[in-house]
Amino acid sequence: MILSDTDRKILHRLQSNLPLVSRPFLELSKELGIDEETIIERIRFMIDKKFVRRLAPIINTQAMGREATLAAIKVPEDRIDEVGAIINEYSGVSHNYLRKGKNKHIPYNMWFTMSAKDDEELKSRLKEIEERTGLTVRSMPTTKKFKIGVRFKIY
Amino acid sequence: MTNKKEDIDVKLIKHIQEGLPITKTPYEDIGQALGMSEEEVIQRLKSLLEAGKIRRLAASIAHRKIGINANAMCVWKVPKERVDEVGKIMASFEEVTHCYERPTYPDWEYNVFTMIHGYTDAECEAVIQAIKEKTGLNDYVILYSERELKKVGVRI
Repeated sequence: MILSDTDRKILHRLQSNLPLVSRPFLELSKELGIDEETIIERIRFMIDKKFVRRLAPIINTQAMGREATLAAIKVPEDRIDEVGAIINEYSGVSHNYLRKGKNKHIPYNMWFTMSAKDDEELKSRLKEIEERTGLTVRSMPTTKKFKIGVRFKIY
Repeated sequence: MTNKKEDIDVKLIKHIQEGLPITKTPYEDIGQALGMSEEEVIQRLKSLLEAGKIRRLAASIAHRKIGINANAMCVWKVPKERVDEVGKIMASFEEVTHCYERPTYPDWEYNVFTMIHGYTDAECEAVIQAIKEKTGLNDYVILYSERELKKVGVRI
């Protein structure tokens, strides 16, 4: 299934803030030259077909008082599903990827981000994962941010 | 007083974090569900954005589904005194969606992390090449994701 140029135009714009006015999609229709009904219909379509995960606030965990980290763990090949399932059980885990170094070997293969209501809860959950899996978890919380803003070039 | 305000903000975020209603008047509809006026919903969202508690009120895109299939995490070994300078250069690339400094370990000496998204691996690697040229850095590892085990947005 391929998105139309109209869909892509809407999608591109939706990566930036939705106007905080009574009729936000009417506002977008003026910007994009696409009528309000069409915009609403296409957004519903793209959500329904899962091109768009959701149109929602993107939460800054730290500003909301939460603590977060990127964690890495070396998981034996034959335990990937089991360990992945344990980690993914935690609601604070927003993503979890298996990664491999392309130009160099790296010591960890599973990478996940976890947030918790405070540092204490974060540390205790990571410790719990270590206990439940018998593996060492390396926590790499951000010490400095240069950029955070997932917007994609859509063409 | 402050706590009460925050409680209402949390209630508002929890109500909309799975998605705004896609209707002509989404803020009015949210207000109706929560027993507040459209104006209050708009004002609260404005304040949350201004305070940086919400980064954006925007679409989260299933990037793989629209063809942005390559997602390279490139980690760099950067001398401490060059982190600021180099971080800014890396962040200036449109394809670099995240750029962070993180702690090192005895078996892990890469301290600057960049996430690069592109339509192809080649596109990501061209960006990495450009970063190398602009910064003069040579010690890096490209980590491609082999499997997505979980991917959801951050929730409170």
